[in-house]
Amino acid sequence: MLPMTDIAIVGYAQSPPTFGVQETETQMLFPAVNEALARANLTRADIGFMCSASCDYLSGAPFAFVQTLEVTGAWPPISESHVEMDGAWALYEAWVRLHHGDIDTAMVFASGITSRCDWREVSALQLDPYYLMPLWVDDISLAALQANALIESRKATERNFAEIAARIRGGDADEFLKEPYVVEPLRAHDTPTMSDGGAAIVLAVGDRARELCERPAWIAGIDHRSEAHYPGVRDLTISDAARIAGQQSGVGKGPIEVAELAAQFSHEELVLREALGLTDGTVVSPSGGALAANPVIATGLVRIGEAANQIIDGGRKRTLGHASAGPCLQQNLVCVLEGE
Amino acid sequence: MSEETKTDEHVAFMSQMVNLDYKIVTSPVHRHFDEQMREGRIVGHKCPSCGLVYVPPKGFCPRCSVITNEDHEVEVKDTATVTSFTVVTPIQYQGQKERDEYVLANLLLDGADSSIGQQRIEGIPHDEVRMGMRVKAIWATPDERTEEGGGMRGWGLTSAVKHWEPSGEPDAPREQYQEHVL
Amino acid sequence: MQRTAVIGCGQTHHKKVRDDLSMAGLLREAAVRALEDAEMDWSDIDAVVIGKAPDPFEGVMMPEVYLADALGCAGKPIMRVHTAGSVGGSTAVVATHLVSSGVRERVLTIGFEKQSEGDTTWGLGGGRSGSVGAGGYFAPHMRAYIDRANAPDYIGPAVAVKDRLNALKNPYAHLKLPDITIEQVLDSPYVWEPVRRLESCPTSDGAAAMVLASEKVADASSKPVAWVHGTAIRSELGQFPGRDPVSPQGGKDCAADVYAQAGITNPIEDVDVLECYVPFSWYEPMWLENLGFAGVGEGWKLVENGTTNFGGKLPTNVSGGVLSSNPIGASGMLRFLEAALQVRGLAGEHQVDGAKTAVGHAYGGAAQFFAMWVVRDEKP
Repeated sequence: MLPMTDIAIVGYAQSPPTFGVQETETQMLFPAVNEALARANLTRADIGFMCSASCDYLSGAPFAFVQTLEVTGAWPPISESHVEMDGAWALYEAWVRLHHGDIDTAMVFASGITSRCDWREVSALQLDPYYLMPLWVDDISLAALQANALIESRKATERNFAEIAARIRGGDADEFLKEPYVVEPLRAHDTPTMSDGGAAIVLAVGDRARELCERPAWIAGIDHRSEAHYPGVRDLTISDAARIAGQQSGVGKGPIEVAELAAQFSHEELVLREALGLTDGTVVSPSGGALAANPVIATGLVRIGEAANQIIDGGRKRTLGHASAGPCLQQNLVCVLEGE
Repeated sequence: MSEETKTDEHVAFMSQMVNLDYKIVTSPVHRHFDEQMREGRIVGHKCPSCGLVYVPPKGFCPRCSVITNEDHEVEVKDTATVTSFTVVTPIQYQGQKERDEYVLANLLLDGADSSIGQQRIEGIPHDEVRMGMRVKAIWATPDERTEEGGGMRGWGLTSAVKHWEPSGEPDAPREQYQEHVL
Repeated sequence: MQRTAVIGCGQTHHKKVRDDLSMAGLLREAAVRALEDAEMDWSDIDAVVIGKAPDPFEGVMMPEVYLADALGCAGKPIMRVHTAGSVGGSTAVVATHLVSSGVRERVLTIGFEKQSEGDTTWGLGGGRSGSVGAGGYFAPHMRAYIDRANAPDYIGPAVAVKDRLNALKNPYAHLKLPDITIEQVLDSPYVWEPVRRLESCPTSDGAAAMVLASEKVADASSKPVAWVHGTAIRSELGQFPGRDPVSPQGGKDCAADVYAQAGITNPIEDVDVLECYVPFSWYEPMWLENLGFAGVGEGWKLVENGTTNFGGKLPTNVSGGVLSSNPIGASGMLRFLEAALQVRGLAGEHQVDGAKTAVGHAYGGAAQFFAMWVVRDEKP
């Protein structure tokens, strides 16, 4: 049996991007959740399944998601789950759940506050605790390894990176190239602007989706893959996981007008473009992508939401949202969306 | 079927202490609650939709999903009923400062609808503490009320109330607190 | 919805400290056993769903990233579920849905905890002083139950003794206390009064794994399989006016949902074996009521009259339960796995004769997250 293709995104919102949010994580989520529901013409009581995403190590305390559960108004009790991953994976879980046919709406939300920790430090805790983590190699240093691999294999230059950053951030590539390295060959503009943020997406099935939204963004395909964990055993100039996820979600079946990529570093966009087979005709990360604002856990969900809005509001026909996790794009999730 | 995996040499343990710095940010609603506590007032928010009073205030009603703010502030008393409790024998883990047994109780403050947990009760032998017992807050002197500890979980922000002691009133009947065990 | 079956089960020998294995090694011990039981190889697996309690318990953030290699996930999907203590159960539910939805055919699901590599009480306190652990949080609720139900004080110790004696028949269980008696428990010190140390779960290193498969794949299995007849998860707010943490509505709703799916109308009659999540002895009578096996205030009587004993009408936690082995991230999955082993007839020395319908249950958080499944020896 093939996965269903009449599950759609019918509402998306993110909380206003900021850094140094003063409110609690739950308070931060309220505007995103309320607006996503409003756009979908639904209330919390209408939702059949909810799935959230958060990260204890960002908050600095265990069970962060137990607090954020309060944004759902979970009384009477609800059918709800949680992943300690980017919200894109919460969306995947909700998408699977909707196949059962007993419910026809779902909501996912994700929150990340990066202003209360040093993400470079914390990111090292994701690595093999016996061999890699004790080296305290942070995410920027690992990304630099990948960027260097691209340069050494002549697949890219520092100028290519600067041009991507200039496109995303506005500004001039030449001026960017004058800045000092943070970790060679990456400069500050090549690294993500960390942020605090939450996002929510509402999903619906078939005719229900058509009732709720004038132009639903149908999930034509969604898939995620991992690669080997150790950067040393991988060819860092390519992303097999992204390639396979792209193939399995049907990226190649038609032209992609807009691709929102969770490329946290400028060079990652090059790797992903190649892995997903994107052509020059594709507009990449018009929202600014993960480079312009990176709340970590909400980053991938925002990409999918932005790609969905291109269809819902923007009149596009075929877009793609991407999420990643782990060092040097180890895990990748691709979601292909279509408008009728 | 394979037996339990055994190796001839043990995989040795290596202690790795990880030190991470986090900024504890007190949200505006908690900061306000904390300031009021230092003035000797315990405040909560009353939900405009369902009318329930939450202490400490969250800035929203979790049942109605309605945002609340200072317009919804109400003051509650510093007397309460013990809805349930335990006597803790502190586990000595790294960083633990507690040594002796102590009583932790869930309390329903007069005027509030949400109970608060993890409150210390003193001034009474542990085996005489009971559900339904009436207690009053023992406040620190104004000089002693400082911002201490901190945390994102509400009540633990403030040193204004040191602990609770029996108030001497007759026990509350079970119907009054049964629904508020937590 | 597609029919889904458990075709392989595997778990580690749970111990306080597994210093013979790394985290990856611990998972592989369970996973390899599950694959062998399923008569499969790593290459047969389409996807992996892993579940684990808070990352600070071992100090590894998002462990699915590190464990991808050990679980054969290069080029495959791996995702991680986290719903506090119920996680082992909700992980199995998510894995089941991957198959029942038709998205995947053969899914490996695994839950684990290597608590010896961290400090749980420290972790629960967010690294601060004054952490009372889970027991300190739940003790007041147990007190409230004892008070409401007017239950005799030896009931909790009776559950503790029953589960530990059951564990003697389970080669994988952590605690082996052959001489434990009710008197011994009654005499032992309190940790969070009214809960005594001997009535509390251990902290264990361990992992549990299952292979879930589609009907087509399950039909080709040479061994008996466990068919999934229902799955349900529920969450409720942890603290709000009107909440009943002693018999949470979320637990009742979760049970009602899964019973409806499985056609269970009279739980005490329709269910042959129950594996429910009892980390502190009094939770057995509490869950018996919450899950509809006994009326309000009557749960403790099923303990007293031997209903939940190994030879009783509703053998409960014959594996020894959470009271005997508690690798938190795996504990929920162990309940689901043990239920599956029972209806497959493969539970060895702790097999309940004629077990056809078994219920697995897990809970977590402030007794606010619930996951359950019903499995049988025949297809739905």
